[in-house]
Amino acid sequence: MPILTRGSDIDGGAMKNPMNAAQLKRSYNIQRFLEGWSLFYENLVGRIGLILLMIFGLMALLSFIPPLIDPMYHPMTGVDPDISRSTPPSLHHWLGTDNIGRDLFSQLLTGARIAFLVGVSAAFMSIVFGTLIGMVAGYAGRVTDSLLMRFADIIMVMPSLLVVLLMASFFGQLNIWIIVLLIALFRWPGVSRVIRSQTLSLKQRPFIDMARVAGASHLRILFRHILPNVLPMALLYMTFRVTSAIIVEAALAFLGFGDPNTVSWGMMLQWVWKTGHMFQAPYWLLPPGICISLITLSFYMMGRAMEEVLDPRLRKEGQRL
Amino acid sequence: MGFCIKHIVRTAAFLFLTIVCLLPAKVSAEESLLRMGIPEEPRTLNVWMASDANSRKVLSLIYQPLYTRDPETLRITPWLAQSMPDYDPETVSYTVKLRAAKWADGSRVTAEDVVFTVNLIQEFQVPKYHSKWEPVKRVVAVDLQTVKFYLKEPIATFVSRTLNNYIAPKKEWAPVAEKARDQEKPLKFLMNTRIEHPLGCGPFVLEKWEEGNYLYLTRNPHFFGRNQEINQRKLGPYIDAMLFKVYGTADVAIMALKKGSIDFLWSAIQPGYLENLKKNENTRVFINQKSALYYMGFNVRKPPFSDADLRRAVNILIDKDFIVERILQGYATRMDSIVPAENQFWYAADVPKYGQGMSRTERIKKAYHLLRQNGYSWERPPVDAAGKVVNPSGICLPGGAPMQKLTILTPPADYDPNRATCGVMVQEWLTALGIPVSARPMSFGALLQKVKREHDFDAFILGYGRLSLDPDYLRSFFHSENKNPGGWNMSGYTNPEFDRLSEKSVETMNDDKRQELIHQMQMIVMRDVPYIPLYKPAAIEAVSRDGFSGWEQMVGGIGNIWSICQVKPAPH
Amino acid sequence: MHFRQLILRRSLEILVIFFVILTGLFLLFHLAPGDPVSRMVDPSMTPEDADILISQLGLDQPVWLQYLYYVKNFFSGNFGTSFHYGRPVVSVIWERLPNTIVLFTTSVILSAMAGVFWGKIVAWYKGRPIDTWVTILSLVCHTLFLPWIALLFIWIFGYGVGWFPLNGMITPELWMNPKTGFFIKAVDILHHMLLPLFTLFIIHVGAYLLIMRSSMLETLSEDYILTARAKGLNEKQVRNRHAAPNAALPVVTSVGLSLAFSINGGALTETVFSWPGIGRELIFAVSNNDYPLALASFLFISIVVLVANLVVDILYAYLDPRIRY
Repeated sequence: MPILTRGSDIDGGAMKNPMNAAQLKRSYNIQRFLEGWSLFYENLVGRIGLILLMIFGLMALLSFIPPLIDPMYHPMTGVDPDISRSTPPSLHHWLGTDNIGRDLFSQLLTGARIAFLVGVSAAFMSIVFGTLIGMVAGYAGRVTDSLLMRFADIIMVMPSLLVVLLMASFFGQLNIWIIVLLIALFRWPGVSRVIRSQTLSLKQRPFIDMARVAGASHLRILFRHILPNVLPMALLYMTFRVTSAIIVEAALAFLGFGDPNTVSWGMMLQWVWKTGHMFQAPYWLLPPGICISLITLSFYMMGRAMEEVLDPRLRKEGQRL
Repeated sequence: MGFCIKHIVRTAAFLFLTIVCLLPAKVSAEESLLRMGIPEEPRTLNVWMASDANSRKVLSLIYQPLYTRDPETLRITPWLAQSMPDYDPETVSYTVKLRAAKWADGSRVTAEDVVFTVNLIQEFQVPKYHSKWEPVKRVVAVDLQTVKFYLKEPIATFVSRTLNNYIAPKKEWAPVAEKARDQEKPLKFLMNTRIEHPLGCGPFVLEKWEEGNYLYLTRNPHFFGRNQEINQRKLGPYIDAMLFKVYGTADVAIMALKKGSIDFLWSAIQPGYLENLKKNENTRVFINQKSALYYMGFNVRKPPFSDADLRRAVNILIDKDFIVERILQGYATRMDSIVPAENQFWYAADVPKYGQGMSRTERIKKAYHLLRQNGYSWERPPVDAAGKVVNPSGICLPGGAPMQKLTILTPPADYDPNRATCGVMVQEWLTALGIPVSARPMSFGALLQKVKREHDFDAFILGYGRLSLDPDYLRSFFHSENKNPGGWNMSGYTNPEFDRLSEKSVETMNDDKRQELIHQMQMIVMRDVPYIPLYKPAAIEAVSRDGFSGWEQMVGGIGNIWSICQVKPAPH
Repeated sequence: MHFRQLILRRSLEILVIFFVILTGLFLLFHLAPGDPVSRMVDPSMTPEDADILISQLGLDQPVWLQYLYYVKNFFSGNFGTSFHYGRPVVSVIWERLPNTIVLFTTSVILSAMAGVFWGKIVAWYKGRPIDTWVTILSLVCHTLFLPWIALLFIWIFGYGVGWFPLNGMITPELWMNPKTGFFIKAVDILHHMLLPLFTLFIIHVGAYLLIMRSSMLETLSEDYILTARAKGLNEKQVRNRHAAPNAALPVVTSVGLSLAFSINGGALTETVFSWPGIGRELIFAVSNNDYPLALASFLFISIVVLVANLVVDILYAYLDPRIRY
């Protein structure tokens, strides 16, 4: 659904409407966005996903507050002077404390922040890689295309968690940004395939030829004409990448290979496991696991709803854009 | 549809069959079987190669030493030997009489076996043992039951640290040694030889080792302690067989214990499980002292920790009571000297106790004053003019150079959550004084490599889970000859006075004179603090109540040879 | 004819991919920070021992020659000696590989079959409450955090209810008794396998179900379904014989695409359940810095995934008539 093509259709009726082409395009885009939004919103799944995501976003933002209230709420090093073992939820500690007296609720909030950080950064990076490679492959065609897609195949075949683990053994303890980078490096193939096929179909469109005739360089064509059209798809796939990034980071932290200076949900699970409170402190065990599952679920739901918006075939009967 | 019903029926049938078939397994325990849980598979049962704790646990049931320690008095007591050795100062030799003992195949344990063992270790330079037997110049079999060890020079620790090592059978190892000598790498061949059923004189023999799953040992009818009374204890063993089951994760092991799948979990249990185990009616908890040392070590070879005042300041800042109370949930004791306080004879009670009983602000202030007196400066000091504690910044060494970033290396959280958490807390405490330090967990092997071999570190937190009861380790840790790569003096501490005292202490045969020297050595070390002793965890172990009783509690826990020889099936 | 060509071509591709992975790991070994030699040779060895091993493995040669040694060693089955176990890596791999294959293939096949079966039924009831609930349930299952849910299962089913063993692959008491027969041993393994299998099943079935459902919906709007209905066939026949087989194809593709994800889950499951497989071995080896074992484990896991991919591709080609002719 290239925006530009539609735009050029409407230009034909510009005589009736004195707005210039740019203004028309903008208002058209806004209109489409609003329609897409209402469609999205109608979808139950999308709604639930969005609400859940907003809750987590709120948690992430709130995570900065507890340490300001009282240093004992610092997730990593703040201990309650009166409590030195794991205690169930109480007035001062809404989720209770861990085994050395740290507040679990502030740990949970910080985990939300880390999850967004890791998820969005890794997804963003993998989208950047994937889109670039997909576009170049689709546009250049032939040998470059084959090579890049073969390369993507190879990466796709490798299990991301295990590769990152192997890297961890070579590079020593990983810090959170290296983990994010590694995750991104192994998750881009999925995106690139889709972008590539989109690019291939776009390549045939007349407006590309027009641009070439007008003397535009390949780079310009890629970034000014193709990119805006593949972007919606790319963003869609970003939601799926976020889920896998969060899960890989959580699994790594759980196994003990995470960044020890970050309090992520996976790290919380590792602590409850290793200190022997796994089956005695459900208030410690359950929240992080539930959060990981729910945030994954919410991104996934959002992704599916967005898919319905972008792909007409999946819509329910009677809905039309 | 077809998928559905047929499949459900098939699965149900399997489940039923399974449960039915497995019932007999629970019933058919006519022999008394002690089921032990261990956290990791033993790596090898070759006595020369084995260095990991779990291999040692299994081997301790098979091979036996000449002398061991009495569980109550902790004194050296004869085990494979019949009596305490006779020391002859003129020839500098020890004469040991052996007990009437047999190997598991019925042949006699003779002085030849002892001679063979010592010669083998010395000839092949077996890594774990040859430093222990190094003082022996010559060993001779006087007769079938008597051995005489000639030493190079008098050494106070011969009985406590050399004669407590295993004796191996000549008939099993002589042929192996023979073959090894022809190899390109004889030691490697010796250490990699795999023996299906190692011959020993201990209470049990290895029947089967199903790699990755279990080890099964059966009773040795020829065990020398069988039906004997040694140290007022009537020894058995009273069990027919032992089964070692491997449990990769602690919580599954604890669940197995609670469920009754194992009778004893031979592994240190994290304090977090304690409450639960105490409340559970199927389990019984034992808490014992341990002779151990968990400490923070410094690299005194390079700045900033080459400065003893900084090290003392760090010692003040570290809240050992916090560590004991919170990180170890109270199941530990703080340590102020390298020698544990419970080792009453050797412990120097008047070592300086840095920061004991102080609050956080008091610590910060004291450390601040100490450093300021010795030339340290800050852009913004941790204690302002009014005497209030604030966030500091820009610490500089005496001389004005700013302090560079430092790292404290610790084992990873999954290896030892306590040490990893200690690292985080120490980081926090030192940062309060502006010291730019960060804790860095690192895989254990890499950590040892960096600290022991490359000497590429600022500080680390490590520990010795089993510290000998004889304080000769002071010499290993701090004598300047041990500071080369691979040596135990990882901090690089050099003090000629200490060297002199420690060398004298090892030659001093009189306990009281030696005690005096050991005390002085501790005072020196705790004044210079190349290591800061932190804590000593308690040995927490648990058994299943319906399983077996008669466990012998001893320093180090109930997993010891006395327990093994005394436990009986508990009356139901 | 075409079919056989296809298999051949795909096999060749797989081989090439494997070679690239093999080479990639070699580069990793040498480019990563630190001393590459200490990665193949146990640092706690004596220097003389180390020298012998180094010359044996050709680590003192120029890099390109080392690469040849490396490839040669791989194909001759020599992966070095594990630092942790002290015995040849290949013997460890040999013991662990079958366990992983059994668990992995069974879980993938079962969850795919169940996904197809239930997805087919659910698509038929599209729009009704049961459709919504099953969809949501599938989504939830798909997004559960695997190690966490695995531990919960152990707690509930293994410890709480006690129907299943807590971990491992066998019950030592049974196996050490020389009298137990083969059948009982087999049943014992199965008993231990049920809970890990169930965990993997729950995680994967959701995804396949959803794919089957949407694929089914697409298929049902095709013309030939209309024809089938017009012919007078009853609904069940239309669904099972005409729509489902075609709708199942995307599931097969999706199984292929998600194999890497499945093996991640497999490794985590093996670790939590202490199932002695190669995934767990990899994780242990990485924790212990046992590089030879880690490297070999990873290579073999890649082989498993690649072979599985091949099988899925062949299956797809077999099932989809459009490719065959």
